[in-house]
Amino acid sequence: MIHAVLIFNTSGVPRLTKFYTPLQQSSQTLVQKIYSLIHNRPGGLCNFLDAPELEAFLGPKDEVGGRWQVVYRNYATLYFVFIVDGAESELGILDLIQVFVECLDRAFENVCELDLVFHFDEVHHILAEIIQGGLVLETNVEEIDACGGGVTPALPVLVVESTNVLVPIWLIL
Amino acid sequence: MWERTLQDLIRGLRANKKDEAKFISKAVDEIRNEIKGEDMELKAGAVLKLTYLDMLGYDMGWASFHVVEVMSSARNHLKSVGYLAAAQSFEEDTDVLMLTTNLLKKDLASTPADIAVTLNGVANFVTPDLARDLSPELIAMLNHSRPHIRKRAILALYKVLVKYPETSKHARTRLEEKLEDPDPGVVAATVNVLCELARYNPKDYLALAPQLFQLLTTSSNNWMLIKIIKLFGSLSPHEPRLVKKLQPPITDLISTTQAISLLYECVHTCIIGGMLQGPNGDSLARLCVSKLAAFVQDPDQNLKYIALLAMTKIVPSHPHLVAEYQDTILASVNDQDISIRMRALDLLSAMVDRENLQSIVQQVLSHLVPESSSILPTAAQSLAQHTVPTSPSGVVPYISPSQSPAYRLVLCQRILTMCSQSTYENVTNFEWYISVLVDLAHVANVDVGSEIRDQLVDVVGRVRAIRRYAVRLMYQLLSDDTLLRNAHEEGSCSEVLWAAAWICGEYCDELAEPQKLLPNLLQPDVASLSPEIIAVYIQAATKIFGSWAADVAQRWEDDDMLQVKSVVEQLTTRFSELVSSPHIEVQERAANSLQLFRFIQADLEAHRPKPPTTPGFATPDLDISAEPRFPKSLYLIQPLSATYELNPVATNAQASVPTPEGLDLDAWIVPPPREAVPEEPAERKVKKGKKGKAKEGAEGKIKRSKKKQQQDEMVYGDVLTPAEPEVETPEEIAARARRKAERLAQLKDDPYYIISDEPKPAEDDVDSIPVVRLEGLPPLSGPSLQALPALKVSSQQFSSTSYAIVRDGEMPEGAVAPAQSSAPTSGQHTPVPHESRTSTPSRLSPFPSYEVPDDVDRPSTPDPIKVTRVKKKGTGKKKRTPTATPTVET
Repeated sequence: MIHAVLIFNTSGVPRLTKFYTPLQQSSQTLVQKIYSLIHNRPGGLCNFLDAPELEAFLGPKDEVGGRWQVVYRNYATLYFVFIVDGAESELGILDLIQVFVECLDRAFENVCELDLVFHFDEVHHILAEIIQGGLVLETNVEEIDACGGGVTPALPVLVVESTNVLVPIWLIL
Repeated sequence: MWERTLQDLIRGLRANKKDEAKFISKAVDEIRNEIKGEDMELKAGAVLKLTYLDMLGYDMGWASFHVVEVMSSARNHLKSVGYLAAAQSFEEDTDVLMLTTNLLKKDLASTPADIAVTLNGVANFVTPDLARDLSPELIAMLNHSRPHIRKRAILALYKVLVKYPETSKHARTRLEEKLEDPDPGVVAATVNVLCELARYNPKDYLALAPQLFQLLTTSSNNWMLIKIIKLFGSLSPHEPRLVKKLQPPITDLISTTQAISLLYECVHTCIIGGMLQGPNGDSLARLCVSKLAAFVQDPDQNLKYIALLAMTKIVPSHPHLVAEYQDTILASVNDQDISIRMRALDLLSAMVDRENLQSIVQQVLSHLVPESSSILPTAAQSLAQHTVPTSPSGVVPYISPSQSPAYRLVLCQRILTMCSQSTYENVTNFEWYISVLVDLAHVANVDVGSEIRDQLVDVVGRVRAIRRYAVRLMYQLLSDDTLLRNAHEEGSCSEVLWAAAWICGEYCDELAEPQKLLPNLLQPDVASLSPEIIAVYIQAATKIFGSWAADVAQRWEDDDMLQVKSVVEQLTTRFSELVSSPHIEVQERAANSLQLFRFIQADLEAHRPKPPTTPGFATPDLDISAEPRFPKSLYLIQPLSATYELNPVATNAQASVPTPEGLDLDAWIVPPPREAVPEEPAERKVKKGKKGKAKEGAEGKIKRSKKKQQQDEMVYGDVLTPAEPEVETPEEIAARARRKAERLAQLKDDPYYIISDEPKPAEDDVDSIPVVRLEGLPPLSGPSLQALPALKVSSQQFSSTSYAIVRDGEMPEGAVAPAQSSAPTSGQHTPVPHESRTSTPSRLSPFPSYEVPDDVDRPSTPDPIKVTRVKKKGTGKKKRTPTATPTVET
């Protein structure tokens, strides 16, 4: 199951925090911790965050749940971070992040960080079309787009360079 | 009136970065006003702003009632704001949730848009009470006409089942029907929920296997296939027939699918689902490992990562398959990505065996070496003659981009656990391990000192053959003041000095000139160490002096006096300083030792080269002509520490001590005063134990007191020796000797007594030594000089040695054997002495091995190693070293 979805920018400012299960830490400390670990990673490394500090930080997972897995992706100025447990496929989550970003891109037409800043409620609604209560609801971009609807167009300000959506897709959808 | 919208708030925040707190407190004040108004739009706007601030870390718990108000709005866009705020801010203990039951029920009966919002909200904040109350509606919702609502209802039902499991009996069948829903999305959602549920109770879901199997073979939705495969991963360990059934389709998927994530999940399920056992398992395992190996070598870092993750799981069952890729895996520990390193380390720890332990540990150790590895301390010395050849130049220390302390700590702990697991099961060369530990202490630079300390002491205690080497290495460690100088720094591992001092003190017999170590132990810089270490230093110094003094006395020349005096002088001076230490442990040990040394000092002063009787001292027992030529006080200290050997004790030894027959633990140990009548020794003897009782009649002079009192006697009769009468008749002496023999026979079976099975060299009957008043000197019953060298373990060829490890530790005699099964790691394997290796194990240390100066060595010819065999239960005797036991009463 998915335990949390976080979006923060390259300075560590949260843009969206969604927790599906209560975690031990406050969302701020969690975001800061994960940001500090991710931010130090140069590009080209794997998308799974695994660090000795993190294991101690997230605490032990119950036996059935397997281990915590922090999967992240970097798009332009934003980090998309999913915290999941052993019931989720690691590579599948990478694709899910991609689906999420594609949906945002459709909704906001060339999505940029400012869209997320000013429409954080819309981002929540789009996320709610993909994940409900920590379980994946829908993975088809068309379906999600059809349900989401009604998003106000992005503010015509300062479009950050186009999002890096050309990343390997593992799944043949 | 002008109100701030969310956008205004965000703009304001961005404009007021410098004074954010002030701006926000002003904004929150506005929100408080807006939220209390009647205008629902305004209220919703305020709640939305609060939700945004909540994400930034500002509490909105106070507004929860207003959130419920917004949730109850009739307009969908306001309602969804309310539900979003609730999902973000409500917790299980939010009290207003109790008020929402009817609201939620009403919303679930509303328009599809409202239902969707409500279901999403319920999935986020459902409580056990809400789960109970809403479950009928949710179950009904499973048949909603719109697939979108059905999907949401299924996922919401999962949350309800988690919070309120009693729903299960109504919901299960309805949920399982949804596997046949016409809409593929609904089926996928159902599989999703079943996958979560089955992880906790796989057995309950075995009945669904045929339906799932049908889906597996017909569906082409990879998202769902992944979940089905995962679901089978939890089911198949509980149903062997399922394994057989699944093997063909999964093998098929592995070879045909284009989706790497699906391929990976298939491999993963094969591993965790136990499909690699059985007749076809081996070829499948080979297929899986080859796929994983391809991933590990893939340039894509993500594939590398998950492949390492999966390999760790396959190692326990198929180590030989993974071992083929050991080099690739070792290379991954060098990866620049710490995530991959962590996984590779995990995998390596799972892979270690007797063959590859050394190379793996050396590889890991090389990561800890600082980039300018030339400043390695003592390791930079040249090779000693007994060490295995090394290839230090071959391993270039990898310069890691991330030498973070936390990572270093993990590396250090990994090394320690890899080596020490199952009581050093995989360590073949303990010399190598000891030097690894010392290396580790030097290069770790993180706080693992205490773990290294414990390992050193444990290894030296368990592996007898390593003591000589260890002592010499520790001698060097103590002589080298690098650690001492850095002791106050974080990560200096100064705790290793604790082990060094303890080992040198305890096994100082291995040193030719132990007194040379004393200045190191006594130097004033030691004060910078932690009090626990200083205390051990004091103790070690005392032990070393004891051993050395006994040695000097053995080959006494009158010229030695000067040296002895100066050493004692050093010790007393230092100890008198330490007596005023603020730490109680240091103070006490220093004071103890100081008194002993004052005593020795007095004796040395009084000693005259041609010894007449020492003035002011009477030893009626000793013939004056037998008076030794050396100052007798030189034998004062050695027996204090060297009389018994320290042996590792089994972890469950204490619990296994059986209650001796007839011992009543509830009885008085010290009976109430009235009953404590002094008794005759003879009576005491008879009541001692079972055997004594048999003699009862023969002795014939027992006045049986109350039974209770007799029991009391049995409790402490064994322990306390009664005061003997001053004068004994020959019969009494004979009787006493007989009783003594009896008692010894009894004690053989007594777990509380440690007696030697070796015949004692001299009849040093403690009872017969008269108690004398001490003024200057202790009485000596003539030290048995030739006994001393027996302690020494002589040198041997280390490199071709097999080591015997005392794994179990000592068990009390007559222990009930409960522990064998409950202590699987330590109790099981009898340490079969491994066959001696003729080939010298390769030494891969990046550093030159430690040189041990030869002059420290004792000039002795190689003898066979004394090896401690495992003490199985029932051998509770400790070796008693037959040294002189002067009775000192102070």
